[in-house]
Amino acid sequence: MGARGAEKYDAIIIGGGHNGLTCAAYLARAGWKVVVLERRHILGGATVTEELWPGFKISVASYVVSLLRPEIIRELDLPRHGLEILPVDGTLTPLDDDYLWRVDDHGTTRRELRRWSKRDAEAYDEYSVLMAEMARFVKPLLGSAAPRLGTQDARGLAALAGFARRFASLPESQQTTFIQLLTMSSADFVSQWFETEPLRATLASSGIIGTFLGPRSPGTAYVLLHHYLGELDGEYRAWGLPRGGTGRVSGAIASAAREAGAELRTNSPVARIVTREGRAAGVVLENGEEIAAQAVISSADVRVTLQRLLEPGTLPPESEAAISNYKFRGSSGKVNFALDRLPTFTCLPPGTTDVYRGMVSISPSVDYLERAYDDAVTGRFSRQPYIDIGFPSAVDPSVAPAGKHVMACFVQYAPYDLADSDWNSQREAFGDTVQATIAKYAPDFPDAVLHRQVLSPLDIERTFGLSEGNIMQGELLLEQLFAERPLSGAGYGTPIRDLWMCGASTHPGGVITGAPGRNAAMAVLRAGGRRGRGRQPADQEQAA
Amino acid sequence: MTARESTYDVVVVGAGHNGLVCAAYLAGAGLRTLVVDNRDRVGGMADTSEPWPGVRVPTLAHTVGRLRPQLARELKLRSHGVRLVQPAVRVFAPQPDGRSITLRSDVALTANALASNDLVGPRDAARYADADRSLRALARGLARLHAQVPPEIASPSIADAVGGLRTALAARARGGASDAGLLHAMPMAVRDLVEEWFESDALRAVIAARGILLTGLGPRMPGTAGVLITDVAGNDAGLAGQAVLARGGPGALSAALAAAARSAGAEIRLGSSVAQVRRQADAVRGVVLESGEEINARVVVLTLDPKTTFLKLLEPEVAGPRLSWRASNIRQSGITAKVNFALSGLPSFPAAADDPRRLRGRILIAPSMVYLQHAADAAKYGQISEEPLIEATIPTLLDATLIDEKRAGAVRHVLSAIVQSAPYDLREGTWTERREGLGDTVARVIEQYAPGFAALVEARQVVTPLEIEGDYGAAGGHPMHAEVGLDQWFAWRPLHGYGRYRMPLSGMYLAGAGAHPGGGITGAPGQLAAREVLADLRAARP
Repeated sequence: MGARGAEKYDAIIIGGGHNGLTCAAYLARAGWKVVVLERRHILGGATVTEELWPGFKISVASYVVSLLRPEIIRELDLPRHGLEILPVDGTLTPLDDDYLWRVDDHGTTRRELRRWSKRDAEAYDEYSVLMAEMARFVKPLLGSAAPRLGTQDARGLAALAGFARRFASLPESQQTTFIQLLTMSSADFVSQWFETEPLRATLASSGIIGTFLGPRSPGTAYVLLHHYLGELDGEYRAWGLPRGGTGRVSGAIASAAREAGAELRTNSPVARIVTREGRAAGVVLENGEEIAAQAVISSADVRVTLQRLLEPGTLPPESEAAISNYKFRGSSGKVNFALDRLPTFTCLPPGTTDVYRGMVSISPSVDYLERAYDDAVTGRFSRQPYIDIGFPSAVDPSVAPAGKHVMACFVQYAPYDLADSDWNSQREAFGDTVQATIAKYAPDFPDAVLHRQVLSPLDIERTFGLSEGNIMQGELLLEQLFAERPLSGAGYGTPIRDLWMCGASTHPGGVITGAPGRNAAMAVLRAGGRRGRGRQPADQEQAA
Repeated sequence: MTARESTYDVVVVGAGHNGLVCAAYLAGAGLRTLVVDNRDRVGGMADTSEPWPGVRVPTLAHTVGRLRPQLARELKLRSHGVRLVQPAVRVFAPQPDGRSITLRSDVALTANALASNDLVGPRDAARYADADRSLRALARGLARLHAQVPPEIASPSIADAVGGLRTALAARARGGASDAGLLHAMPMAVRDLVEEWFESDALRAVIAARGILLTGLGPRMPGTAGVLITDVAGNDAGLAGQAVLARGGPGALSAALAAAARSAGAEIRLGSSVAQVRRQADAVRGVVLESGEEINARVVVLTLDPKTTFLKLLEPEVAGPRLSWRASNIRQSGITAKVNFALSGLPSFPAAADDPRRLRGRILIAPSMVYLQHAADAAKYGQISEEPLIEATIPTLLDATLIDEKRAGAVRHVLSAIVQSAPYDLREGTWTERREGLGDTVARVIEQYAPGFAALVEARQVVTPLEIEGDYGAAGGHPMHAEVGLDQWFAWRPLHGYGRYRMPLSGMYLAGAGAHPGGGITGAPGQLAAREVLADLRAARP
């Protein structure tokens, strides 16, 4: 067991989500004495699997993976720590009396697309290759602190120059696509290639996830790209389910961190961060216990870290203003079901079963998604929401009792702020709406429901500590990306010396990537040398 | 085959303000320059027309305050007859309940009035001057980008790298109180920007309206803060916005530009359509007019919209399938209409009853952020807003020359209204069927703010996106030629690889609103394109 009380740690990591654990693992491997403090009774943060009902193991929040950085899997040797990813195959978009069903098998998908549009079938290959190229181009940006335009320091200038060189070496058509991905709406972006409405909508839907924007809002094309960055076994845009649930991802990282010597404590909510002479010096837990450390690294979001956990007045006023202006605006909910049997999508030929190994997307048209957004703008949840549905038990039977199933529904839009109501009174109505929306395509679905868990943005905030229930710890808006995330030019540092951030509020943002945790660990190590004690004062990566 | 033939150094296609500016600079540099336009008068969308006897109206654009001052000086527009007037009131924004917000040129005076305005209050009033400074600081950074030819980002040279560094420094121009650099602010939603400044919803809406005017964007959409900043870049608009009128309407400015071009030696031929750009191999040779006349020139400058340029004036074998496909995806579908009213008297806005001088600037129907949102939402579904965003002016309050009382009958005033959303792509019906319905909608909405308005209307002219396309040659009917947004901006306006005015043929240039820094009566695309033409000719000289 690690030391307690008076003995000082090199680093305290606030929050045992996958990013906090990743950061801890890297620091511990560098020889740092590290403790992770998790508020809940289990580790994992939003990367968590809980047995909500006997035999039903529910991946409560995050439910698919693909974006976990391959270097993290490799360096932390996660397969040895129990990580096994099972592939998910295909996306079905059910319609009233038809469907669009794309699967991994190239020939099958091509035939299906030709049924809709020959032109689209041709364009699909080109589009897929192009997006893989884009993912490859962006990938190096994810693995380190983002270069900042106008930077003065040598490392930053070198990074910028490197990026400019790589950009210049792209073919012009790919340069165009990269600019478009940063600036366009996801609907406009995909409509350049495709005319089939459900294809446009389903592709564009990746661009709205976790944002308070509609598919026709500029900026959503970047979110679309963000969801293409995944790479499983070297294949881009491959999605998978961890055997045993997404909790296994954080479980494997926790195991790697523990093996490297990190101490992981649950049921240890941090009440505040202690600063002394302008430096972070440790934390006080809610039970009054004080823990001292050379550095404090928070995987909580920027608002929780710098506004809730710091004494008011600690930050300079400009930083306070910048944090107040940082946009969370949770817009999504999650509904988890325990099912007696799998639902039947009546648009499919009778007897079709392999659809459950993939995702089902309720996104029949761009207008449908846009109208779902319009509801959110007026302060209510979508009457006809976008739903991304997965059936983890169809891929991994270990997460449900024999013959039973679990079904995960990611739902948009569910605005954190409701206009004339509150989530405590609307939670079940929201669940009913989701259920009714799915029942339109699978009428036998409601009868198959054994249990239901509804997570509104308020619940996501309360359960996982994510401000306003934003699953990305802040919207992926252009002004909140790269070097602007979360505070302009701050990188993983904060205005307080020895206080760092390593969560999804930092570059490159949300989804299970582990990149913020790893990048933060690198920045902290660079600032502090290989050992925590006696290290140099933090360099300019500590915020301006 | 006996058509005439003539020879110039440069043919400028389109006598809109950008074409005239470009021609004035090129002729001024000693090049034999010919401007051709298919309309019967110069000016393009900077137009004054006389739809009814003795009554002249600003047909499309109604304010000209974005014109680059440097250009006005260099082309000596004053000596060519331009008289600009800017009223003390920049914008007057009435509410349906008779309250209103007025923003004036004088910042302190404006803030004072806002403090005692119950739509705003002392807190926002106290912040007004700071917000004005922030916006101007951001705009100064952007103006630096607007004043130069964008860098070649596809394959940067040393010069471009140096320029890029300067650009980056400009991008760091700080916004003051909000401490938002230009790079941070440009991609923001205008709603978020005004929320950082103000608490008053009515005041937010007055400012935010400029972030969506003439675009298909809503106030929550990223990039609309950039549209607002663009409106301020290189001029004196500030937070209140500009309200500069040209005496005689925008057409008078165009006439002065034409005079400047002619006095520099340019020739202007109206009523002549270009049928084709002639080329030899990959270089232009001139143009062929619809009349069959051939005009030889080593430089052809086009001020048409980019889609027409790439898809109609370039032969498909020159453009190739890739570029043609990219050009076909340029977003240039308009969402703005114009309604001009001839009135028998001055409309009476109860909110301006105490001081009718409030009506001299822009009159803005944008009473709340939700109103803006809904007005913009209609465009997403190809619908005409029932409650549109309206920016109106009553130019006759400042300019007596517009009405010839002997011929104008009962008409005493003109109200010019820019209206959106009125999308080019209608889901239901056609513009021919729906034109007058839009006129009715606008009259009905103004009536809510100025009771008795309808009774004053002697005549009405509705200019839909269909006319903007047909009469002004902007395919898609967009007043900015190509949609405003960060994806069609700066070095990649209109397309990445074509952001430096040069088109795929050697000697062919784009100098219209579809080129950097975009639409609006600035003259900047024409001026910067001329600079590039001259640079290329100098480089080609042995």
